[in-house]
Amino acid sequence: MTILLKLFGELREKVKSQKDTSGAPITLTIEKKGIKTVSDILKKFGIEESETSHIFVDGIYSGFGKLVNDGDRVAIFPKRMCLLYKWYFNKVEND
Amino acid sequence: MPKKILRVDMSKLEVKFEDFPSEYAALGGRGLTSTIVSKEVPPDCHPLGPNNKLVFAPGIVTGSAAPTSGRISVGGKSPLTGGIKEANAGTSFSQLLGRLRIAAIIIEGLKKDKDYYLLKVTNDGAELINANKWSGIGLYKAYEQLRKEFGEKVAISGTGIAGELLGAGSGVCFNDLEGLPSRYAGRGGLGAVMASKGLKFIVVDETGAPGVEIADQEIFRAGTKKLRDALMSHDVTKPGGALASYGTDVLINIINEAQGLPQRNFSAGQDDRSANVSGEKKAEEIKKRGGTRPHPCSPGCVIQCSEIWTKPGGKDPVGVLEYESVWSLGPNCSIYDLDDVGELNRACNDLGLDTIEAGDTIAVAMEGGLIEFGDAKGALKLMDEIRKKTATGRILANGTAFTGRAFGVTRVPVVKGQSMPAYDPRAIKGIGVTYATTPMGADHTAGYAIATEIMGVGGQADPRDPKKSELSRNLQLATAVVDSTGYCLFTAFAVLDIPEGLEGMVESVNGVLGANLTVDDIGKIGMQIIEIELEFNRKAGFTKKHDRLPEFLRKEPSPPSNEVFDVPDDELDKVFGA
Repeated sequence: MTILLKLFGELREKVKSQKDTSGAPITLTIEKKGIKTVSDILKKFGIEESETSHIFVDGIYSGFGKLVNDGDRVAIFPKRMCLLYKWYFNKVEND
Repeated sequence: MPKKILRVDMSKLEVKFEDFPSEYAALGGRGLTSTIVSKEVPPDCHPLGPNNKLVFAPGIVTGSAAPTSGRISVGGKSPLTGGIKEANAGTSFSQLLGRLRIAAIIIEGLKKDKDYYLLKVTNDGAELINANKWSGIGLYKAYEQLRKEFGEKVAISGTGIAGELLGAGSGVCFNDLEGLPSRYAGRGGLGAVMASKGLKFIVVDETGAPGVEIADQEIFRAGTKKLRDALMSHDVTKPGGALASYGTDVLINIINEAQGLPQRNFSAGQDDRSANVSGEKKAEEIKKRGGTRPHPCSPGCVIQCSEIWTKPGGKDPVGVLEYESVWSLGPNCSIYDLDDVGELNRACNDLGLDTIEAGDTIAVAMEGGLIEFGDAKGALKLMDEIRKKTATGRILANGTAFTGRAFGVTRVPVVKGQSMPAYDPRAIKGIGVTYATTPMGADHTAGYAIATEIMGVGGQADPRDPKKSELSRNLQLATAVVDSTGYCLFTAFAVLDIPEGLEGMVESVNGVLGANLTVDDIGKIGMQIIEIELEFNRKAGFTKKHDRLPEFLRKEPSPPSNEVFDVPDDELDKVFGA
């Protein structure tokens, strides 16, 4: 019962105290227990909603209320990486 | 001194300056190149014959103090698509033309003999100089020699060896601020049109230039201030923002997570090795090896998405590695090493090849068994075939569709003969509608900018919802206008979210032209430009049957989304149809 979490840009520093200079995203396998939505993941890592931009749950462009299922891959990008054809996307929310 | 047109007849080797026609007064960039091409080029002409023309036009505000506005449009009939083409680039070349008050350079006629020429443009006039000594020479060496001969302050446009082969995959090259041949109006084979006319280079010296004429300084200054403030405050465009920090390549990880980053000649939409060539990775590497990041493509850019990528140790600068180039020469060929991608990009710049077309071509050659997927050294050898002008090299220089035919490949990602950029239309269907319907052939920039909100279209769309015609149309109209102003499309990120920025952009154009345009005019002006382009294509023989994606993208699911391109034909036909 796990979720694959990927953190990009400065959100990597939420996990590593030292600045990462590899340029690679942080990939974590986290327990599904206690996590229902994207918001729960943000809370778990002390990430404010305002610090994020694009969130993908298994490739689906998602909002904070998107339900997260066992085995999902969740990717979270920081605020300043909001570089996307955002008008092609509609955030999927469950709440 | 009013604006003028510089007309160059390569059959007679004559240059002349003409008055800028009053009916063109409000035109610049793409609006001007497409208007001139539609008026002067017969749509049924051979793109490499005497009746095609090549038109260079800076944007309306280009060369002025307007921020992030150093774009140049290059137009003609494309030898790749057989339709009208506008390709654009960010370069000081454009600003110098703007300040010399040259609204357009029109190159016409055909190569007279075996000789190549260089067009030298100064405030005193223009002349053609023999340029045979640079034929067959790579553009890095040629640009270095040209700067030695004509001075470091000149701007240079050129066509490379791929152009000399009349390859439909060749682009028109421009200098970056270090004088490297790294800024390309790459798409559509216009480098071959330039070479077909015997024109190898244009060298511009702005000494004594009068500068851009501003009809109303007050409106212009107020407008540019609003726009600059928007660019300076938006998270994507501000100093330290996404584009300055990581460049366009920041999209690698994002589009990979959207499952829309094509891998291995469009066989999948995601591969975790893509992170090895991401913008984040590249920014760290540039820091370590002593390249430059951020870096403006032209003076006066606030966004500064460009960079100077080098070999390890800061040696042998390449120029910028853009997202599209990194993707086409990287993941699309199963190559996941930045140094490999950098050397392939260097080869493209040196040979005068469009990186998107070249990467898609290599991937199709890999699928055809010429070399293995992931074989970066093999890919560089293929580039050498072009340099040596071998028969294989001539096939490759002609692009993806031609190479697919030559090697019996059926999975060929092209529309109207032009290869697709770095967004899989199965996972991101809106871009697929743009690929299918733009008059340019598969082109991401044609529907890149200006959100639905500005155009008054309600709501945003789900990327996997096939109803996309209205969205794509409005994006295409707005883009045609931005491409005419001289502003970079990336200004859209800021002006989308900050309405004063968009007002400022329009006001700056009014300031230059002495016009009274409003934000509401954008759609109408965009439609006028696109209608000219569509009409040219209709006369060149295009029908709605050409506005389709290849069969394999409609039938073959792309893992892991397992989506196909399922936008119905009638939805595609609604984009510009009745």
